[in-house]
Amino acid sequence: MIKLNPITLKQWQRFKSIKRGYWSAVIFAALLLLTVFAELLVSNRALIVSYDGELYFPSYGAIIPGKELGLNYKYETNYRDLKLAFKDSDNWLLLPPIPFDPLENHFIEGEFPPYAPSIKHRHYLGTDNTGRDIAARLIYGFRIAIWFSLLLLFFNYLIGVSVGSLMGFMGGKFDLFFQRIIEIWSNIPFLYVIMIIASIVVPGFWTLIGVMILFGWMSMTWYMRTATYKENSRDYVMAAKAIGATNSSIIFRHIMPNTISIMVTFIPFSIASGITALTALDYLGFGLPPPTPSWGELLRQGTDNLDAPWIIASVVTGMTLILVMVTYIGEAIREAFDPKKFTTYE
Amino acid sequence: MLFSPPLWAAPEQLPTNLKWITNNDDPSWASPKAIKGGTYRMVMANFPLTLRTVGPDSNTGLRSAINGNQMSLVGTHPQTNKPIPELATHWAYDQDGVTTYYKLDPNARWSDGLKVTADDYLFAVEFMRSKHIVAPWYNDWYTNGIVEAKKYDDYTIAITGSAPKSPEDMHYYYGFQPKAKHFYTMDENWVRDYNWKIAPNTGAYQVSKIRKGKYLRFERKKNWWAKDYKYNVNRFNVDKVHYKVIRDNNIAYRHFLRGELDVFGATLPNFWHDKMQGGLYQEGYINKIWFYNETPQPSIGFSLNQTHPLLADKNIRLGFAHSLNIALMLKTVLRGDYERLTSYADGFGDYSNPDIEPYPFDLTKADELFSQAGFSQRGPDGIRTNDKQRLSFSVTYSQSAHTQRLVVLKQEAKKAGLEIVLQLLDGASAYKNVIEKKHEIAFMGFGGGANPQYWAAWHSDNANKPQTNNITNTADPLMDELTTAYKFGISTEQKQKLSKQILQLIHDNGAFIPMYKVPYVRLAYWKWMKLPAHHGTKRSNTLFEPFNNEYGVHFGAISWIDVAEKQATKDALSDSEVFDPVTIIDATFKVRQ
Repeated sequence: MIKLNPITLKQWQRFKSIKRGYWSAVIFAALLLLTVFAELLVSNRALIVSYDGELYFPSYGAIIPGKELGLNYKYETNYRDLKLAFKDSDNWLLLPPIPFDPLENHFIEGEFPPYAPSIKHRHYLGTDNTGRDIAARLIYGFRIAIWFSLLLLFFNYLIGVSVGSLMGFMGGKFDLFFQRIIEIWSNIPFLYVIMIIASIVVPGFWTLIGVMILFGWMSMTWYMRTATYKENSRDYVMAAKAIGATNSSIIFRHIMPNTISIMVTFIPFSIASGITALTALDYLGFGLPPPTPSWGELLRQGTDNLDAPWIIASVVTGMTLILVMVTYIGEAIREAFDPKKFTTYE
Repeated sequence: MLFSPPLWAAPEQLPTNLKWITNNDDPSWASPKAIKGGTYRMVMANFPLTLRTVGPDSNTGLRSAINGNQMSLVGTHPQTNKPIPELATHWAYDQDGVTTYYKLDPNARWSDGLKVTADDYLFAVEFMRSKHIVAPWYNDWYTNGIVEAKKYDDYTIAITGSAPKSPEDMHYYYGFQPKAKHFYTMDENWVRDYNWKIAPNTGAYQVSKIRKGKYLRFERKKNWWAKDYKYNVNRFNVDKVHYKVIRDNNIAYRHFLRGELDVFGATLPNFWHDKMQGGLYQEGYINKIWFYNETPQPSIGFSLNQTHPLLADKNIRLGFAHSLNIALMLKTVLRGDYERLTSYADGFGDYSNPDIEPYPFDLTKADELFSQAGFSQRGPDGIRTNDKQRLSFSVTYSQSAHTQRLVVLKQEAKKAGLEIVLQLLDGASAYKNVIEKKHEIAFMGFGGGANPQYWAAWHSDNANKPQTNNITNTADPLMDELTTAYKFGISTEQKQKLSKQILQLIHDNGAFIPMYKVPYVRLAYWKWMKLPAHHGTKRSNTLFEPFNNEYGVHFGAISWIDVAEKQATKDALSDSEVFDPVTIIDATFKVRQ
């Protein structure tokens, strides 16, 4: 592990002092945490049901058939209806603030979807053209997009940083060989590959991540290669070599901590690009299979149904907010790690 | 062609007992008010890859327009359904039920002015049999379907088919369009050489201008040889037909609103109900029409692959049918505008079986059927299991627009403990997946001809092998017997009876679950576009069609453009005048209420 040395502390202080970036980071972290517990906020399953003196917690785990809660069907209980059925009895239940599942079609008698936002029906952002709640799809779509992006980032950096560092450290033929490989590899049109794959199989979450890693790891290599080259010629590396440190310990213990600022600076922008890439693919119809909630699919619906402006407005607002926050964080980090401390972004 | 029979016979060899028939007594279906002139501006989503109508890449949206300007020997009256003369003035049927004799119209001319003679028909057969056109289906049909075309003199021919047909079917199956013999050179470069050549035609219009990727224009022939013929008077009214390429439907709609297109399709519920409201519609500049027709409906629905171990069980197939809440989907997502398709062949008149009621959404029934198949338990996610596997099927489909229809069914099927996995593939892959029988359940539509066809899709000869249309892999001896009898049947009555039986059998078997039909045309059009008082005919599957229909039912070419009114409308638009809004709902040919 990298120890918190005085420089890191100073960088952290500096980051904290950039209010815009710091608060963005706080909110973003909070959102990330919230997505983990999205089922407690957005779901058509009740949080707590008290029925005939017994307590049920349906949010997680197996479904509770309607029969078990006094309804006349065997499929999953509709808790919104159950709430109405409980009205004049001792039984009670607590619904999440947004009582809809992102996949659930909710139809209102006498009206046709897409339904406009309404407090009465608890569709706070309206529904899409099959009666699915937009707030629910937006939040679950965000959950998928952000975790997709983080996973993508992790693997891209793992491969990119390792290969890049090795190229810089080993130099010579190894470096030359990988330079050519990367040049050739990055010339393969990524979108076409995705399109071809999507036309043959239905791409799932992991297939998409796999393909995107396959074509996404190269960008970090160049930066890491240069940085490692630079560090490699420093005296401390020479010293480490002199006392007989192994190559891997030189790379990971000595060189990498000194190049960490490059990585950290790029992270927020990589997250943003991961989200936009998935959204773009979904928008074009080459992304996650329907009916997965996704921002790209909402965007598509929004542009197709401009007369239902709440669809496009919700997703564009959501996306803008997230991307702006990520950019602010990125800016702040870059500044915090900037050795020329007198520059400002204001 | 060493062994083929002689294609030429002396005139005196013509059978003498022939009863020559013609038909000039049916009423005209055009309007006497029609005015000639104007340019009709239409949209096409893609520019065609070729102007050829056969061979590679020729199955384009424009092919029907090009073929619509090639006349047939005999057409079909759209109201009386009787044959009417086109390139032939008279026709006669042989006793054997396979040969039809035609007397050709000596006035008929190709667009380059040359006469259309018997040689052009003999050449058409030779053409269609040629390997150079790279069209195996046509090669086969003109070899094994149509046995021979014989010339008696320049204006008398006989066409012999392979199997006996009823007289009304003979023209449909064995009649064909001539090919201009003087125009074609048949060699191995044919496909390439004729890609962009404009072939001589016999119809009212001819392609006059092409800008590849941008537009294509047809122009009416000044002195068309058939313009004064009874069934052509007051038809073919517009001077030019201009097809513009606009790839995106929403963008095409913007063009329409700007008055750059004359007519726009309004079948999609959100267009008819939402987008086409207020504004120019309220002010009466753009009118709307909802015209019910009675045309054969494509068989749109779920085709269940019976080689799948679970779907081989009839209980599961019927359980699946009872788990589909199609009624809810139609009522909500499609706004009650589409109707439930009742059977595999709907809208074929006496060939359809009106006694069939499609399976309703019925959870009790589904529960019963699934339980009988061993799926009585439900897993923690509410989906049924039989200890070994979950009750889950993937549905292969190819149009993303259908997703919103299928998600409703998917959600509702959960109630029955059935999982539907949506497998959206690109068109070609979906087709390949299904035609190679690798699917579990396919959501597809099959268009048909004038009469329902069963042999290809339901006979066991076509089951369990790739590249055949039996995508349910049905292999049932009774079905084989019926479909074979139907295929080779001659008497119309007998065939209709068989058709009803087959439809009942398909229904009982549950391998095809019918979904929906759209038994109408819905369009929006600028007020200068005019239709006859009756708007269209029973068989009109579109209105404002500028050409003849490709397959001989001639409901088209009866609309016209009121050029004076067009100018007046444009002036009124700049003066912000307001007209009465017009929405026509014509239910004359509505079948069921």
